[in-house]
Amino acid sequence: MSTLIIGLSLGMLLFLLASGLTLIFGMLGVINFAHGALYMLGAYIAFDIGRHTGSFVAGLIGATVLVALAGALIERLALRPLYDRPHFYQLILTFGVILVISEVVKVVWGLGYQESTMPPALAGTVDMFGSTIPVYRLFVIGFGALVSGGLFLLIEKSTFGMLVRAASSDGEMVRLLGLPVASVRMAVFALGSGLAGLAGLAGAIAAPLFPIELGMATNTIIDCFIVVILGGLGNIRGAVAASLLIGLVRAIGYSYMPSWVDILTFSLLIATLLTRPQGLFFRATRSA
Amino acid sequence: MNASRFDLWLGLPLAAIALLLPFTGPSDFMLNLATLVMIWAIFAIGFDFVFGLLGMVSFGHASFLGLGGYALALATQLWGLPFCAGVCLAIAAGALCAWLFSFFALVTLALSQLLYILADSKLRAWTGGADGLPGVARPGLGGIDFFDSTLFYWYVLAVFVLVMAAVVMLRRSPFGRVIAGIRQNETRAEQLGFDVHRYKQITFIVSGGISGLAGALLASLLMYVNPQMLHWTTSGDVIIMTLLGGAGTLWGPVIGVLAFEVLKEWLSGWTQYWYGILGLIFILATLFFPKGIVGELQERYGQWRDKAARRDGRIS
Repeated sequence: MSTLIIGLSLGMLLFLLASGLTLIFGMLGVINFAHGALYMLGAYIAFDIGRHTGSFVAGLIGATVLVALAGALIERLALRPLYDRPHFYQLILTFGVILVISEVVKVVWGLGYQESTMPPALAGTVDMFGSTIPVYRLFVIGFGALVSGGLFLLIEKSTFGMLVRAASSDGEMVRLLGLPVASVRMAVFALGSGLAGLAGLAGAIAAPLFPIELGMATNTIIDCFIVVILGGLGNIRGAVAASLLIGLVRAIGYSYMPSWVDILTFSLLIATLLTRPQGLFFRATRSA
Repeated sequence: MNASRFDLWLGLPLAAIALLLPFTGPSDFMLNLATLVMIWAIFAIGFDFVFGLLGMVSFGHASFLGLGGYALALATQLWGLPFCAGVCLAIAAGALCAWLFSFFALVTLALSQLLYILADSKLRAWTGGADGLPGVARPGLGGIDFFDSTLFYWYVLAVFVLVMAAVVMLRRSPFGRVIAGIRQNETRAEQLGFDVHRYKQITFIVSGGISGLAGALLASLLMYVNPQMLHWTTSGDVIIMTLLGGAGTLWGPVIGVLAFEVLKEWLSGWTQYWYGILGLIFILATLFFPKGIVGELQERYGQWRDKAARRDGRIS
């Protein structure tokens, strides 16, 4: 049972991350390599705000908003001039962004590991189904479910979501109709980045889940890509399912054969690519 | 625009520098740096086959480099093969890996990270894990002592010239033309009856083989291999180098490696945060100089020639 909870919380954390990545890809067609770096930035910012104010909520808002701002800045300054060029320019540009963000983190916070503390309200454990489960993991699961629901409503039901979807399928036409496509793109990038910052916070206070360190940007982004590919590029529903799948595979792997976990997830990826290259949860209809 | 004459003009001073360097009484550090630049240039040239000529971006090239290094180390140490056979094995390993990767265009990054993890932990018995394998061989050829920096420099220079010659021939061959055609318009190439997928695969294999060769030479220069050669940042470095120098041009990857190493030496003496500044330079280059140093030069040269031709009345 506790393995299931660990798997679900891990999966939700992955979803917070991967949803931003898949959102940006689905709507802008940009594969954002710097997503892991933004996640790392979120973790460090949340850690710092939490340390200074002692407030969990302040860290949550701060990390999300600041990373979203960073994302908007990246989109405006670096990506916007590149939309007309071949796709790989955007890809390699975001690689440059990783280097810069990693260095900024090194300058501001140094090289060491950071210790973070859990807010007292979430630090306890509860007994459920005959096993002891940390409240924090339940919180991550609930929080992830909340965000995925909100994201779904935003993209599928709101006017903003409709505008985003229209802009992604025919940006030129939407622009000619007098709608601010450039701002919509910036907003989507900021939203995706904000989700990465949020995930950074979730990872930050869950330091036992993932330590806050410089390697977290690169280690995480690979897992994220696996989720996005398994779920189908740009498919948010697929990303939910794939995150939970990878989370469970990892949790089960950790408890039964810890040294094979990475190999296991990669094998899952390779098997998927060989049999269903368009993703496990691909449907012929429009993807959200 | 006469590209081949441009390549000649650019190549001559480089060749002169490369030939004269050992006679200027350089320090061992300089010689080793020059050797390193040539080896990385071979790697970048191999990478540019896929990136510049075919127009595909690969984040998996560290795998071909790293496998080449490990192949040489294992061949000479474990199986006692001569250096030459080890290098051939390295080329084969790089090419084979590239062939496998060519089926997974999108996820070369993930696959190459898998190899990194394998070398770092799972295959420790073979690869020495994170510590790597020390004592990789230098070439043995008629009793010449290639542990001497100068002699090894000449050895690498010879290999570099051979690779360069092969690349020039490949670029001018019908095969090279088809590749350039695929980059410009894949659909058209396909409609003309070329098996695009097959051409792409062969390009990947050639690229992997050259990268494997570079890996073997790198291991031999450092006399050491470790999983860092397989790490994805190595793939990132080679992208930066190639783009800085000019993707798709003959000398671009070479100049790019030179620029990268010089910048690195200069910036790292100045600040410990050199990698971030390099990242910033890279971002600016992507935005404002996507053709790279050599690409820009080539364009200027073409404009200059056109102007000269018009002035002489050869073109109205």
